[in-house]
Amino acid sequence: MIMDTQLASLLTAGALIVIGIFGTLFLDNLIKKVISLAFIGDGANLFLIAMGYKVGGIVYIFLPGMSMSNFSQNASYPLPFALVLTSIVIGASTMAVMLGIIILLNKKYGSLSASKILGE
Amino acid sequence: MNIYDIILKKIKDVRMETGDDEPVSNMAASSMLTAEITIISTLLIAVVMLRLLNKTLMIGSVVLIFVLAIVAMPIMPRLKREQNDSLASMSFYVIIGLGIIVTLFYWGNLNG
Amino acid sequence: MNYLIPLMVVIPITCALFLNLLHERTRTVKAISIIVALALPTVPLIANYGVQYFGGYPPLAQNPTIAVGLPTLITGTALNIFHPAITYVFGSAQKLMIVILGFIALFAIYISLYEVKKASGVYAYLMLMGTASIIAMLLSDDIFNLYVFFEIAALAQVGIVLVSKVDYNYETALKYMILGSIASPLLLIGIALLLGVTGNVNITDIVYSIQHGLVNPQSPVLLMACSLIIFGWLYGTGLPPFHTIKSAMYSKALPTGAALLQAFSVFSFVAIGIIILRIFSYLPFAHIFIIGISLVAMTLGITMAITQTDFKRLIAYLAVGELGYIGIGLGLGTALGITAGLFQAVNEAVITAFLFIGFGTIMYKTKETDMRKLGGMLVETPKSALLVLLAGLAMAGVPPFNAFQSKLMLVQASLNSGLPEIAIIMVLLSIVTFMTFMRAFHTIYLRPKPADLEIKNEKIPNITLVAMVAFLVVCLVFGLFPQIATNFLQGMAMSIA
Repeated sequence: MIMDTQLASLLTAGALIVIGIFGTLFLDNLIKKVISLAFIGDGANLFLIAMGYKVGGIVYIFLPGMSMSNFSQNASYPLPFALVLTSIVIGASTMAVMLGIIILLNKKYGSLSASKILGE
Repeated sequence: MNIYDIILKKIKDVRMETGDDEPVSNMAASSMLTAEITIISTLLIAVVMLRLLNKTLMIGSVVLIFVLAIVAMPIMPRLKREQNDSLASMSFYVIIGLGIIVTLFYWGNLNG
Repeated sequence: MNYLIPLMVVIPITCALFLNLLHERTRTVKAISIIVALALPTVPLIANYGVQYFGGYPPLAQNPTIAVGLPTLITGTALNIFHPAITYVFGSAQKLMIVILGFIALFAIYISLYEVKKASGVYAYLMLMGTASIIAMLLSDDIFNLYVFFEIAALAQVGIVLVSKVDYNYETALKYMILGSIASPLLLIGIALLLGVTGNVNITDIVYSIQHGLVNPQSPVLLMACSLIIFGWLYGTGLPPFHTIKSAMYSKALPTGAALLQAFSVFSFVAIGIIILRIFSYLPFAHIFIIGISLVAMTLGITMAITQTDFKRLIAYLAVGELGYIGIGLGLGTALGITAGLFQAVNEAVITAFLFIGFGTIMYKTKETDMRKLGGMLVETPKSALLVLLAGLAMAGVPPFNAFQSKLMLVQASLNSGLPEIAIIMVLLSIVTFMTFMRAFHTIYLRPKPADLEIKNEKIPNITLVAMVAFLVVCLVFGLFPQIATNFLQGMAMSIA
């Protein structure tokens, strides 16, 4: 393996965030802007979930017959997985509200251009 | 031309750019003037805090900022134009702010 | 077990969801809103101080029955005192702040119910949801839980602006959401970095890990986490570079909504600011940065306020500028400074709500917010004009009102810390605040009425006047007896100084 999975995930997360910020700043279409924002959110989620990765780790469910020491040494960290679920739900609802506003604004202006709608 | 006239002229320029062609009232001009004086004096007083680092640096920067403020006199119209409500300028400043904060914390604490 | 602590958050959220379903039935909506709004300040008032562990899992050290039979790998290390559950801490400072927030929300909801003919369940839903999430942010000792409520609060704020029917409210709300969607993932990454370094999201445990050398405090990852959390803090509270969008948000909401929005900003400022101080106060640069950004916020907020022509935007910028005073108190980092900052936060939330609601009566009578088209309102609304004048005096820090006491404490704290320059700047900007307010007051109330100004012949609802008098009473009580408030706040200030 050339690169460890965790490092690769972190780099991907960084790339997603940078691409997202770039898109938010420089794309004019509102829908494209929202997609870029989703990139930033996804990057953050990927980053969070990569924190719980453990090389050669096992699923963090304590099954009958497992030795406690083996479990405690090898189980991956469960907290980030729980957190990222919450974070995905928040991201989805934020995006729904944003798209809803964009629909209304598109009806009002007949356009999706950010410089036209959201300039001064 | 005294400072009041310069400021009045600058405000008119700003008004023309934003397409707001109402006459400049006395109140608008005096507000701008107050804001101008406030911002310069706050800046000068804040710079005095550099004395905790180095006294010579403090004196140098106070003089420098004083001269710069006089030269660049109506600061406030420009500052107001920068802080407009367009998304492009807001997100630009947000990203610049993020860059400054991260850099300051990273280098400020590692080398401080 | 103190069940009232989770109920402070649970009651408003449950009722909010319920109200949303009922939104066509005006009378039911009114009845439920009135009861729930009353519960907002009363529940924290009667609740005892305590700690709530969700799921009922206290740290192992306090729970010997579960700890029996566990290996020493767990019971012999710091794991024994770490908090496995989401923890809510309800102390005296939280009590005062939640009561004040509930008090503001109570009147905002009542006025919104009586100013319109048909009560809107959706608006009440948004106000209750926002209030509940800010209460949760104040209570929570878990940084991820705080992030979740931070996001809910942001959505509720957007909702409050969306339902206002003010011109260009959708545009402003979308801008706020776009900027928020940049800033809050970055806050989440800051939290993820903290989690990655310390393995914990409980703030008490994170502080323990850093102070007892379980992690390296000078680790660059922690510095990065600090900067990202501070960036999220700037977004949530509207400090520069977010001051333009935050003030635009206030000005696009209804007066009741704006009063509540600024209270949300003030208390989330305090909630996250305290967390930053607790975790990162070992970094000297964190204090310098908080003082610096507060000075910038004060200067930009107040100078921008002077040049505004829309009175809602003017107060909005003043509200942003006044946040700087709280920041100075927190940034000084001494017990006196933090007490003064927290006291200023409580005062400012009340005074700015007072001002927004007071100037809201102008909007109610004329539907006009542009000061150039207003004038002569003193004849129309003499009672509310007097109350607004008193609110303005309070904001500028004139005795015997509360902001005088807190600003005086802030000046003393900065003198004690050897930074008289900050004291001078604070006094200077207070004077400019007063001048800005007086300009707005003169234009709206005192100068002759413009010929084309239409004034609706409607009486201002009594509840609005009652609310303003109630705010005035709070201002006077805290102004005359500041130790009532500072006694509540001192404990928290001592623990983080």
